[in-house]
Amino acid sequence: MLGRFRYGYVAPAVLLVAGLLYAPFVWTAYLSFTRYDGLESPAWIGLDNFVKLFDDAALLTSTRNTLIWVVGTMVLPVGLGLLVAVLSYDIKGGAWFRVPFMLPYALSGAGLAMVWSPILSHDGVANRLLGVDTAFLQDSPYNTLAMLLVWTWQQLGVNTLLFVVGLQSIPKEPIEAARLDGASGWRLFRHVIWPLMRPLTAVVVGLALVAGLKTFDIVWVLTQGGPGRNSETLAVTMYKETFVSSDYGYGSAVAVMLTVVTGLASYLYLKRQVTAT
Amino acid sequence: MFRSRVATLGAAALVLTACGGGGGEAPQKKTELSLYNDKGAWTKYFDEMGALSKQSIGLSIKPTGYTDSAQYQAFIKASFRTDVKPDLFTWQTGGMLEEIVKQKQVADTSAIWQEAIKAGDLSQDLMPYYTVDGKQYCVPMNVAYWGMFYNKKIFDQYGLKPPETWDDLIEVAETLKRNNVKAFYHTSVLFSFVWFEQLLAGTDPDLYDRLATGQAKYTDPGVVQVMERWKQLIDAGYFINPGDKTDPGDVLKNGKAAMVSFGTWFNTSMTSRSMKAGTDYDFFVIPNVNPALPKTSMIFESGPLCSLTKAADPEASTRYLKWWTTAEAQQKWAASRGDVSANPKVTIDDKALGAVTKDAGGGEYRLVNRYFEATPPPILTAALDGFSKFVTEPGTYMEVLQTIQQAADEYWSTHQ
Repeated sequence: MLGRFRYGYVAPAVLLVAGLLYAPFVWTAYLSFTRYDGLESPAWIGLDNFVKLFDDAALLTSTRNTLIWVVGTMVLPVGLGLLVAVLSYDIKGGAWFRVPFMLPYALSGAGLAMVWSPILSHDGVANRLLGVDTAFLQDSPYNTLAMLLVWTWQQLGVNTLLFVVGLQSIPKEPIEAARLDGASGWRLFRHVIWPLMRPLTAVVVGLALVAGLKTFDIVWVLTQGGPGRNSETLAVTMYKETFVSSDYGYGSAVAVMLTVVTGLASYLYLKRQVTAT
Repeated sequence: MFRSRVATLGAAALVLTACGGGGGEAPQKKTELSLYNDKGAWTKYFDEMGALSKQSIGLSIKPTGYTDSAQYQAFIKASFRTDVKPDLFTWQTGGMLEEIVKQKQVADTSAIWQEAIKAGDLSQDLMPYYTVDGKQYCVPMNVAYWGMFYNKKIFDQYGLKPPETWDDLIEVAETLKRNNVKAFYHTSVLFSFVWFEQLLAGTDPDLYDRLATGQAKYTDPGVVQVMERWKQLIDAGYFINPGDKTDPGDVLKNGKAAMVSFGTWFNTSMTSRSMKAGTDYDFFVIPNVNPALPKTSMIFESGPLCSLTKAADPEASTRYLKWWTTAEAQQKWAASRGDVSANPKVTIDDKALGAVTKDAGGGEYRLVNRYFEATPPPILTAALDGFSKFVTEPGTYMEVLQTIQQAADEYWSTHQ
């Protein structure tokens, strides 16, 4: 009975995923081989869009900025998240200590911009407090670094939370045994706690890697990729080429490239982690 | 068994027929028209127009305003291929209008234009902006003349008067600088083109027109000189920081800059901040850089209100567009926003704007199509990015011009 209808049970989910995920993906991949302005029918141009990728100075800047985002996202929100988690774990009132780090996570991308735009703008709070005259959102690559700090401010809490969960799930026995053997402080963390947390760290860093590669909203709301195109990431370039320049073909080529890079990076990273574990 | 299956199929077919659109149906009769627009901040004014049109012609409007023009344009283009079609929508003149007219998506409004010109509701001068291959499409949703809004209290404080020549303007900027007041507003976001178009149109409007049609290059000496002049003004310290995110309305109100160059629609930003024309702020026409030009160049823009060839109720959409051009509609539209109108019969309350409209209609100025509409979209995108880079790094002007020209070469190689 169940065998006869088994496909029926999974059909709605399969159809939804196929219709909303795979079909647009296939359509985007097809568009990347065409010239298409959103109005006339797509015209097949072979690999021209992909050849253009290697001859586009703006894309070089986007790639550089995306790399900064990837490295920065893995170092700052993850690294500081781990630090806050370790410092606040196992102390009295640690949960209250973590609350201020958690609150910014509730903000949307647009809300984030509303908070930080007046702080980082030329006549903003940051310049006044520091007594300097710095164009935080203008000069490249400092504008990317400034946005990375904003991103850290928002993401720190959730990474802290994940690491605290990781710390709580570590079996107590190896730690007690290490303490009896005289391990404490940095040595205990480095040689016992850190290796035990490895599976969770792999997930947190993997998520950060993907988040860094697809960075879009914070850049869009704070600088729109400018001035010029000096703070664009690959995701912003994809959006601008597609919807601002109406060059759907080239925008799709950037999307395909970004998908391949994200998929490949995630695969290689996770494969390495699985092998190491 | 067989009969029951046939009956079930028959019933299903009837249900499907009832649910389906049916190509041969008569168009539905509408009493409320959807109006999609990229002027999200104007919803209140569209609502007021809807209330008036309901009284006058029995048709109301339901505005849906976008604030991101890229998202808006993507939605409108997508709507051409779907059943979710706007009854009315705003768009841009120039290359953007040509693009959708060539797709046979926009309803022909030649008859409305003929009638409105005959009745004195539209000016013949506006017609070229709405003409593609000899036919008219859309009607003017708004028109705007560009000039300089200035903080009158600051001007009064330093004994300054609206300049009559370019040298006067620089003298005003110099006086303000001596008193630690920034003279001009400029920005690296979207409106980064404003000073380029103003300086080029005021120096050589013919070169401006040739540049817009691909007959001149961005690397030509005339264009380079304009960029050098712009750089001199920035280097002289007359402008506020282009990365300042303060709303330009607040910039002028708070005196962060004494002058802001925008279209007459900026007047709405002033009145909505409870500023009084003639007391708190005022408006002057920007003098030409080149005093030898026979007429003062004035940047002009007009935004269209359009309907689709495949509108749900073409008769209602056409009737609405026709009403929109009338003096009754335009008087309300202009008065509610404190702006000028495409209808010459409309009286403008604001003294300075009224005078500009009258002079422009009388041929006093050389009207120059705004850069945003005059420039084909792919070149415009490169130019907006380029000018955005230039205002933050003025030394890069040659690199910027070369990048824009690269986009222009690519475009004109297939569009001449």
